[in-house]
Amino acid sequence: MRRPSGLTAYAFLYLAFLYLPVLFLPLFSFNSGTIVAFPIKGWTLDWYRQLGAQDTLIQALANSLMVGMVSALMSTAMGLFAARAYTRYRFQGSAASEGLVMLPLVVPGIIVASSMLVLFISLGLKPSLTAVILGHTFLALPFAVSILKSAFDDFDVSLEEAARDLGSGVIETFWRVTLPVIAPGIVASILVTFTVSFDEFVLAFFLSGNRPTLPVYIWSQIRFPAKLPNTLALGSLLLLASILLLVVAEYFRRRATKSRV
Amino acid sequence: MTDTPIISLSNVGKSFGSFQAVSAMSLELKEGEFFSLLGPSGCGKTTALRMIAGFQEPTQGRVEIDGRDMAGIPANRRPTNMVFQSYAIFPHRNVGDNVAYGLRSQKVPKPEIAARVAEALEMVELGGLERRGATELSGGQRQRVALARALVMRPRVLLLDEPLSALDKKLREQMQFEMRHLQRSLGITFVMVTHDQYEAMTMSDRIGVMFDGRLVQVDDPATLYARPCNSKVASFIGEMNFIPGEVTAESSGKLSVTAAGFGALAIPANPNVETPGKSAMLGIRPEQLEIAKAQPADYDATVRGTVSDVAFYGENVHYHVQVDGIDRPVAVSVPNYFHTVDYRQGDQVWLGLLGDSVIDLGQQDQ
Repeated sequence: MRRPSGLTAYAFLYLAFLYLPVLFLPLFSFNSGTIVAFPIKGWTLDWYRQLGAQDTLIQALANSLMVGMVSALMSTAMGLFAARAYTRYRFQGSAASEGLVMLPLVVPGIIVASSMLVLFISLGLKPSLTAVILGHTFLALPFAVSILKSAFDDFDVSLEEAARDLGSGVIETFWRVTLPVIAPGIVASILVTFTVSFDEFVLAFFLSGNRPTLPVYIWSQIRFPAKLPNTLALGSLLLLASILLLVVAEYFRRRATKSRV
Repeated sequence: MTDTPIISLSNVGKSFGSFQAVSAMSLELKEGEFFSLLGPSGCGKTTALRMIAGFQEPTQGRVEIDGRDMAGIPANRRPTNMVFQSYAIFPHRNVGDNVAYGLRSQKVPKPEIAARVAEALEMVELGGLERRGATELSGGQRQRVALARALVMRPRVLLLDEPLSALDKKLREQMQFEMRHLQRSLGITFVMVTHDQYEAMTMSDRIGVMFDGRLVQVDDPATLYARPCNSKVASFIGEMNFIPGEVTAESSGKLSVTAAGFGALAIPANPNVETPGKSAMLGIRPEQLEIAKAQPADYDATVRGTVSDVAFYGENVHYHVQVDGIDRPVAVSVPNYFHTVDYRQGDQVWLGLLGDSVIDLGQQDQ
């Protein structure tokens, strides 16, 4: 089949427009000059070396890791039950509740963030990492549900029936059959939801109070021109970590889909 | 083997909302028999099996296994084990762990587990394959693992849901014999669900035929073939020519009938028919008809016809013969004795029929 001419060129331009700016980040992080502009003065790893000495940065990283892990575990645990229910049972309001779970994907972050801030304060919960964890769990839930739903879609229900038939109760069946079979899906969900939380800025900015997560810390540093190269180095590392996590997550997600004998 | 039924269904029904999947099913199974539930897809046979297994609770009636009422008893506490249509081999465990699953669940001592797993795998001719991964098995091997995994539990009843439908023809026929052998040597009651009449007939001691959620007839294969209780069963099991007829007289196990095309015949009465009547549907198996160039002697009825179609099956040849007075062509099956196909389309032939081979199918319902 012949492709219309120019379409390939258009596709490449489109991709370049999308991703080239992202590549400037690592490029300038190796620039020895402090001004982000061509020509590049010289190559250095200094900006990376200096990162380790900044205590507030390390603290922000620790905050982000903690928030990311807790909200990843919470959203994946909740997603597990939701996804199983959506794929196994037909119940009244199933479509409506699934739509509700998926809502954070389309509602503007600023609206979610400001309404959560109002809600938490009216409930007596001050801006804190706990508030960020709750917000990120809510934000990551649709990712967990859709990944785990595809894991359950490929799960043969008679596996659980076979376990029951061979003498296992409901709980033993879950631990010995359901959980191990969908484990790759669970790992994929944890990695993706962690990445969602780790990179998230708007909610964290509104809810984190005086203990910033890494993206909030980076934002605060951009205001100081002298710190900019450090921030670029940090950003590049985050970019690399996110890509790695998502690649690993995709690997597990595909394994989950293939697990059917 | 005892005479008390190992499984007894009394007036069992199951409805899903307004849909009646199984209605008023009563059945008693003897210990050690190979029983098949046969019917088209959607007839309720799988639902019936799942009610015995404990995956579905009947909405009416009573399921008893070994004299015990099974109401409220879940699948994991019933003395039955099941071979699933998809085989449901645990993909994250190797063959040995799959077969050992149930024994570990029961906390059987380790050395005994190993011995029983080895024995079960030997039984299904997979001896020594304990370490093989579940994803590395062929279709036939997976079927054998599923069988071993169920049999290792030493169930009172083994339930099989379309166990051979995923296998190719050759393997299916081999497994039919192997499973039949296994069942005889173990003496365990097998209950199999199938839509394949040949599978049911070659393997079973008795067959229950189901249509639209109802158990229509329960009999041994030969009786089912020779004395089906109505036209529906007759057309589902094997091939059948349906010829309308009039009953003119009835006396001690014999019916005098006038069959369309063939004329007057004396045929045996069928004790299984539900509704005997004046106008009866008569069934003639294709292999019971004689086909010849000249009018055959020694037959109770003969009729002339024209060959309208020839189908060569290898082991036999099917002719369709158009006969005056019968709407649809009569199917005749002849064994391929001498590797010759004797008649061609358009040939004038004679058909010969013995009264004893005609099956009374009762009142015409359509």
